[in-house]
Amino acid sequence: MRSITRTPPRVILLFLLPGLVGFVVFLAFPLVMAFAISFTNYSGGPRFRFVGLSNYLRAFSNPDFMNSLGVTARFTLWTVAGQLLLGLAFALLLNKGFRGRGLFRGLFFLPNVLSSIAVGLAFMLLLNPQRGPVNQALAAMGIRPPLWLASRSTALATIIMVAVWQSFGYYMVLFLGGLQSIDAALYEAASIDGAGPIRKFLNVTLPGLTPVTFFAFTIAVINAFKVFDQVYMMTGGQLGGGPAGATDVLVFDIYVNAFTNLRFGYASAESVILLLIVLAVTIAQNRGQRKWVSYDVV
Amino acid sequence: MTSSKYSAAAIVGRLAAAIALLATATIVLAPLVIVLSSSFKDEIEIFAFPATLVPKAPTLANYAALEANFPLYVFNSFKLTAIIVVLQLLTATTGAYAFSKLEWKGRDALFLLYVSSVMIPVQAIIIPQFVIVKNLGLYDSHLGIIAVSIFTAFGTFLVKQFFMTVPLSFVEAARIDGASEGKIFLGIMLPLSKPVLATLVIFSFRYFWNDFFTPLIYLSSPRLKTLPLGMADFASQFDVLIGPQMAASFLSIVPVLVIFMAAQKHFIQGTMSSGIK
Repeated sequence: MRSITRTPPRVILLFLLPGLVGFVVFLAFPLVMAFAISFTNYSGGPRFRFVGLSNYLRAFSNPDFMNSLGVTARFTLWTVAGQLLLGLAFALLLNKGFRGRGLFRGLFFLPNVLSSIAVGLAFMLLLNPQRGPVNQALAAMGIRPPLWLASRSTALATIIMVAVWQSFGYYMVLFLGGLQSIDAALYEAASIDGAGPIRKFLNVTLPGLTPVTFFAFTIAVINAFKVFDQVYMMTGGQLGGGPAGATDVLVFDIYVNAFTNLRFGYASAESVILLLIVLAVTIAQNRGQRKWVSYDVV
Repeated sequence: MTSSKYSAAAIVGRLAAAIALLATATIVLAPLVIVLSSSFKDEIEIFAFPATLVPKAPTLANYAALEANFPLYVFNSFKLTAIIVVLQLLTATTGAYAFSKLEWKGRDALFLLYVSSVMIPVQAIIIPQFVIVKNLGLYDSHLGIIAVSIFTAFGTFLVKQFFMTVPLSFVEAARIDGASEGKIFLGIMLPLSKPVLATLVIFSFRYFWNDFFTPLIYLSSPRLKTLPLGMADFASQFDVLIGPQMAASFLSIVPVLVIFMAAQKHFIQGTMSSGIK
């Protein structure tokens, strides 16, 4: 239906402007600028020059940057797997009707609304290598306790655990939404055809969950690539990055290079690489969705 | 078929499910219980083994230790969060109105740009954004944080989806009666959209109350710091006391906890529906 009255441009602009100014000045323009700065040796001062691709070349030959890519990849792999699998498992458990399921649903979602800083402090106390309750309990049971955040071999795994702890409930709720959007008639039809619970799960539940799975997967991967707060908080603040760079994720490396070392050009090249990764994930999701998602089931 | 309900396998299955739920609930709650309980303990009892759930000698000393700086941090956090939430409501609703109830060239293209921008991590554009804020003279001010936070692609999208459910004939009828767009927006659209505005308020509140990255980049003066920044300062100090950390953590959790308890439905349903196309 077309509008019968034409709105004067002045009025349209008035409605649009409050958000549009913020969008252009602090989002769209910086996005373009990030690319531009990445080709310069800009450091915040008035004098800088065009340096071509040298920031990118330097990044890919810099062990710190390559390490941060590897750390981020490992962090992403494990947190995404943990969050999605636990999220799906508990969504399936809580999708059945029983007393107290609303309570569990709310409880598992709760960590997701808390500040990562408070969560980080809580886990730093819990997992304190010498005096924390977890290690004291392990020692009392005769188990040699791990050093958690203080050791090169366990620091990243500890942060992965905390990230999964904080977010699996969010993915659980996403999957619950997906489960509830599956038409109950499909289960009835499957029963009539003689399908057992396993067949129903494979042929009705899983196909019905594909749209939400793609969405959850994309969000989880992008969130994992953005991780910063937990790393900053739990492995030493500004000087952080964990023992021997074990938790030096990509955004942390960008942060240190930009705001401690004032290498804006180089850090912008790193940012552009982060942007390209996120873009690739989004495009892959769109492509995959077209190929795999069966909307007709939902 | 019905006998399967009572079969041994079914009973074992249900038992395993119950154990998994209870064990996970314990793991989810443990860090929160530790925070609350430790905030009322002295340093020795915090690390006592076996740990006590209820403090043997409860103390308020940890909260008293926060007196010097934290009232200001809490005030700064509340002030910033409140201003940003209100401004986000303004930009999201006016934008949503322009995208759903007004017709103009390029509308759908611009909306697509808005929606795509949700995917852009703020961390990836923080350097140019910082340069802009600095050049506008807004570095180390609350205004700088407010400026970079007022646009919300998520909020505009959320409210627009809701506005679309209001029939255009409502709006047309009001226009024929001579109502201005401003009047239709304020008098018809906003009152109808209270539930979605509530969802936006709680999601924004949670985000900005907890936001650490933006204040970390844009603030340096101690008197401007927000609660998460103040708490992070703790962890970077040498020889730091754990008790006050736990007291501050608990204080920072309380507002979101209260909102979560009161509006759990909004959180859960808002999240649930975001995954379904």
